[in-house]
Amino acid sequence: MTLNPESIEQLQTQLAQAQQVGVVSLQGVARLVEHVPEDMTATVEAGMTLAELQERLARGGQWLPVDPPDPGSVTIGDLLANNLHGPRRFGCGTVRDWLIGMAVVLPDGRLVRNGGKVVKNVAGFDLCRLFIGAQHSLGVIVEATFKLQPLPESEAHLAKRFDALGQAEDCLEQIWSSALQPVVLDLHRIDGDGLTMVVSVAGPDADVAAQADELKVLGFEGNASLDYDAKYRALPHTWESVAPGKLMGRLKQLESNFVARAGNGVIYHNEKPSAAGGNPGEFAVLERRLKQEFDPENKMPVLQRK
Amino acid sequence: MRWIQTIPPDVKPSLQKTMVDRLASVVGRDAVISQESELVVYECDAYTMQKNLPTAVVLPATVEEVVQVVRVCNELGLPIIPRGAGTSLSGSVLAVDGGVMIALTRMNRILNIDVRNRRALVEAGCVNAWITREASPHGLFFAPDPSSQPACTIGGNIATNSGGPHTLKNGVTTNHVLGYEIVLPDGSLKWLGVGPDGGEDVEGYDLRGAAIGSEGMFGVVTRALVRLVKTPASFKTFLAVFDSVDQASHTVSDIIAAGIVPAALEMMDQVITRALEEAYKVGFPLDAGAVLIVELDGLPGGVEHQAKQVEAICAKNNAREVRLAKDDAERAALWKCRKRAFGAVGRLSPNYVTQDGVVPRSKVPTIMQFIREVSEKHQLRIPNVFHAGDGNIHPLILFDERDPDQVKRALLAGDEILTKCVELGGSVTGEHGIGAEKIDFMEKQFTKDDLEAMKKLRAVFDPDQRCNPHKMFPGAKRCAEFAQKKQVAV
Repeated sequence: MTLNPESIEQLQTQLAQAQQVGVVSLQGVARLVEHVPEDMTATVEAGMTLAELQERLARGGQWLPVDPPDPGSVTIGDLLANNLHGPRRFGCGTVRDWLIGMAVVLPDGRLVRNGGKVVKNVAGFDLCRLFIGAQHSLGVIVEATFKLQPLPESEAHLAKRFDALGQAEDCLEQIWSSALQPVVLDLHRIDGDGLTMVVSVAGPDADVAAQADELKVLGFEGNASLDYDAKYRALPHTWESVAPGKLMGRLKQLESNFVARAGNGVIYHNEKPSAAGGNPGEFAVLERRLKQEFDPENKMPVLQRK
Repeated sequence: MRWIQTIPPDVKPSLQKTMVDRLASVVGRDAVISQESELVVYECDAYTMQKNLPTAVVLPATVEEVVQVVRVCNELGLPIIPRGAGTSLSGSVLAVDGGVMIALTRMNRILNIDVRNRRALVEAGCVNAWITREASPHGLFFAPDPSSQPACTIGGNIATNSGGPHTLKNGVTTNHVLGYEIVLPDGSLKWLGVGPDGGEDVEGYDLRGAAIGSEGMFGVVTRALVRLVKTPASFKTFLAVFDSVDQASHTVSDIIAAGIVPAALEMMDQVITRALEEAYKVGFPLDAGAVLIVELDGLPGGVEHQAKQVEAICAKNNAREVRLAKDDAERAALWKCRKRAFGAVGRLSPNYVTQDGVVPRSKVPTIMQFIREVSEKHQLRIPNVFHAGDGNIHPLILFDERDPDQVKRALLAGDEILTKCVELGGSVTGEHGIGAEKIDFMEKQFTKDDLEAMKKLRAVFDPDQRCNPHKMFPGAKRCAEFAQKKQVAV
């Protein structure tokens, strides 16, 4: 069943009455509740698109430092439910690092708030982290409060082509052990582009200029674009995550095209993912209890895995 | 003198013997403490308003021992209370109703500094500051830096989601713990989040994040994988001196509003600077109304540029003087001094109670004004030393516990300040936790449904409520008795 509420109250009634919930569209719940630039925080309803939020925040010189593909159609609800991220996650982290409060409608229709609108807060358990990436399996996030960052004074994207992974590896290690503070550290191999490393630097003008100069000494050229990320990830693909130090080893096994967050060890590609990335994963009992506690009638969608 | 009488452990002598024997069979006789004279060490944490003895304390040396201890406690129906260094400030490791305290202090090794992946694998009892000490030769550090960092443990940091002065830019513990091993109250052993050799994206629910800050109520953390970050290339640390708290407060707001995120932005008022000067002779002006410590870090060009902005903002707010720490030694001395502020206050008053409220950053001037009013109304001195850039206040309410009326006024003043924080859109705790201390505030800050949802999460990890019971939630056992006794000096 698709829900299309016009207000949070209506969603509460709809969820309480629903027997099976499929898609929840929050187009009717999409206001910017508050942006207080002096506090560097903003509260927004979950139906607003990320692009619109960023546009509104930019008026106060700030942004929510996440950059998933397709921000024009990704809503704040999507962003949180699926923990979406893009190339800048190396320097900016993911939305897990920026959410400080939320309101969520539980499957029984109750509205629950967690966290708050202050940047430091340890009152009570952290349900915010739990609901990020939980899709809609435990309830529906309807409002979120974020801590924000000032928009960087400037940002520069630089790129360098390589003939072989071995050369890219040497360059990556050189950057890794340097004083550079990249915001993006990507490596991709896409038809037409060949093997390319992309490094972005952001911040005060002086830092950006100095770092760009250093990168040019390493053979990077300016005016690169980050479009490859959205373009590649719009097509069918899978992903895997390895410790950053194992990234090159894994890339050498791949024959397909790929986009890799070289600083994070995350790879998007078109082959069969290798066995688990070293993370233990036997949580059947905990996950069953979680579902039982939050969605005892089992009306919400099951958490999807790759 | 003691406010809460020690409640004798509610354990029959026969069970006591069985318990000690069973625990000793796991960890050895030497690692079980059950004599009252030795248990006294464990009767409270740094929040001393409430005290009680655990039934026993065990000091396991291995993960396997922790698992076995938890299983024995399960069989005997005994509560378990995980404990690190006991530096917490909210009574979160208080054995409210007896129980077996599992102290992780013997499990304190750094197991691996993984330089390439910028991670450290440590045991739960590892002291926070040791990680940075071991990582710094590699140009890396562990960011969360609570003032207790020379003593507090990483397991305790995870339990309380610890902060510190540098969380302004770097974030708190949850942002820096990739994964950890935890013994659940049923005795099962799990690794939540990123494994020691794993990738940083983990499928499924974020159980790691859900249990950080759970104040030891979800299980016993035994090992942790923490993120290390690159040591900044350059620092500039200022001491800005103001005639009034108000000027300093507005400077804080102006710095944030200018789009500058300093590494740290701390305020100390006159009472604190005087106490510190008296104790450590660092050269604070004795007649200043307030000082700010502003630390900028990053690449040299940007730091230089922001330093000019900060100096201009200080001047605009009539700073009397802006001093720059001239080298690493001076910078270190300044921070050492800041982190010893609570200790220095011990010189001013027989007793004090620290509050840990948070307000939206732009409300710092409002809350500081309110604290002044509360101080006058109750005729109590309330100095302030706090994380101004985060809006995280630490008013220290000074009193003499020999005077019951002062005690009452001190408690009242604390309540009024925290209630005001909630009214201003903030929180009653930014880093110290709810523990046994702030249970009554949970209903001010959250609705019944909000609290019910938190209890659901607890039921996932600890359906029998055996792990660190009687904390966090209103209606906890003995809560009424504690509240009553709080008023009466025994």
